[in-house]
Amino acid sequence: MNDAMSIPHLIMNASTVVQLVMLLLTVGSILSWVVIFQRTFMMRRARKAHRGFEDRFWSGVDLNELYREVPPEQETQGAEHIFRAGFREFNRLMPKTRSPQAILDGVQRSMRVAWSREEERLNLHLVFLATVASASPYIGLFGTVWGIMGSFQSLSMAQQATLSTVAPWIAEALIATAMGLFAAIPAVVFYNRLSAESGRLLGKYEDFAEEFHSILHRNLQGRSDAGGA
Amino acid sequence: MARRQARVGYGIPALLAVGLHVLVLLVSVISLPTREHEPSPSSIVQATLVSTETVTDQAQRAEEARQRALARQAAEEAAAQEEQRQAAEEAATQEAQRQSDRAAEEQAREAARQAAELEAARRAEEAEAETRRLEEQRDAEEEAQREREAEEQARREQEAEAQRQREAEEQARREQEAEAQRQREEEAARQREAEEQARREQEAEAQRQREEEARQREAEEQARREQEAEAQRQREEEAARQREAEEQARREREAEERRQREAEEQARLAREQAEAEMQRLIEGADERVANAQQGQQAANDFIALVRRAVEQAWRIPPNVSSGTTAEISVRLGPSGELFAAEISRSSGDSAFDRSAVQAVEAAEPFAELRQLPAGVQRDYREFNLRFRPGDVR
Repeated sequence: MNDAMSIPHLIMNASTVVQLVMLLLTVGSILSWVVIFQRTFMMRRARKAHRGFEDRFWSGVDLNELYREVPPEQETQGAEHIFRAGFREFNRLMPKTRSPQAILDGVQRSMRVAWSREEERLNLHLVFLATVASASPYIGLFGTVWGIMGSFQSLSMAQQATLSTVAPWIAEALIATAMGLFAAIPAVVFYNRLSAESGRLLGKYEDFAEEFHSILHRNLQGRSDAGGA
Repeated sequence: MARRQARVGYGIPALLAVGLHVLVLLVSVISLPTREHEPSPSSIVQATLVSTETVTDQAQRAEEARQRALARQAAEEAAAQEEQRQAAEEAATQEAQRQSDRAAEEQAREAARQAAELEAARRAEEAEAETRRLEEQRDAEEEAQREREAEEQARREQEAEAQRQREAEEQARREQEAEAQRQREEEAARQREAEEQARREQEAEAQRQREEEARQREAEEQARREQEAEAQRQREEEAARQREAEEQARREREAEERRQREAEEQARLAREQAEAEMQRLIEGADERVANAQQGQQAANDFIALVRRAVEQAWRIPPNVSSGTTAEISVRLGPSGELFAAEISRSSGDSAFDRSAVQAVEAAEPFAELRQLPAGVQRDYREFNLRFRPGDVR
């Protein structure tokens, strides 16, 4: 393998279309890795935050105290967000209606909205990862096909078709496929891993919402019984 | 408490991603060149040159030294041979009669001798005067000899004697005769070669010494006179010379070794005698080396082209073991067309030999020959090609 067959040399000598394909794939790969790193950090932090919040929630602290710990304008995330949304709605509805069913409906609705926001936040950019994973092999294949077309066109002008006249063209064309796979494989792997992680976290949030809902329900039930008696 | 948990920014991930790609790029750039595989022996036809003697500088120098020594020897021996010549006058006349065709060469040799005398005159004036006088005497004698040639016919038994006496001269003359015969065989090519020689001499001498231009002109005159005399001589007795051609060629080859040894000895003597000549030789050495290298390079290119053309035209017959080797000797015409492709060393497999010859024939003509420097074209018109299938099938 002499200098003319080294990968940078091949990339420099490729035709414009193939070079554009390579550039696109490189950009896609870089962006997908940005997403991979960012999501990984974010998932790890969300998991840690969820564990911390659950510990605190089940430590027997008063819910009003827990609610007042954070100033209401500060944005919270994860299970805490769901808790605050539900508890805020509960506190607002309590003076207005005496129907426990109406209160529980409102709390559930607001918690579902918060959960949906959390889902959107967790799954942000994962679609981009999926796009890169599925499209970049095809883009690379397009570059390869285009390069091989060029190689055959140049071959038709050559008088003697030896392997050494075709080889650089094909090697250069195949680089595009290699780059497509290079971008696609990590994207596929990390998309699966990150979406599983986010699904698991969302399941935990849902469980927490149900538990919180049952606490409120118990609370209301006791009060209505006391009010009825 | 995860209260102060901020959003995960994009700065650090972006840095990490770019760093990862740069790392991959560096690894691919660094590691790929290190696992270079050694080039496989893809050249399946090796070309070896048969006649490269005049290309190498040593050979050139030896040739020049030999020519100079011959000329100087002729000049020096002119005096000494004068008595011998007078004593062996009959022998000489018979010799000259038998070789009346060589009269032209003698004239040419006289010209060479005159050139040598000019050199000698620059070195030693008294020697020059003497040799000039002797030269004139000898001219007159040779005129008389040529007149006597017509009458005298008995010469058989004294021929050997005359040859022994003037062996050195005869050798030089035979060489020139052989050259002339070859010239007559390919007259057109020969004339062009003579011109090329004259031109090469001119170039070398002009580059070497401005003051030797006189000798250069003499060389040209010599070449012209040689051609004229040759034409005359050819018209006179073409038939006789054809008979003698093979004999003399063989004798010339036999005498070649002795002549070269003598030439080297006399070159050494000449260096001792002529310091100035040696100085000029040293001055011209660099230039000759450069010329020789240039010629060598062009010739290598040519050989590579020939080899590639033959390789591509070669259809290796099936069932040939990889160790099979055949050598084809190739002779080319002046414009690169194929004169002959003969099996000089057979592989034992006639189909393989035939395929090699057909490859050479299919690759003809080698028009690249014309792009060689004019001086070395002749040397590359004959070469050997070694065919070996190797691992390429």
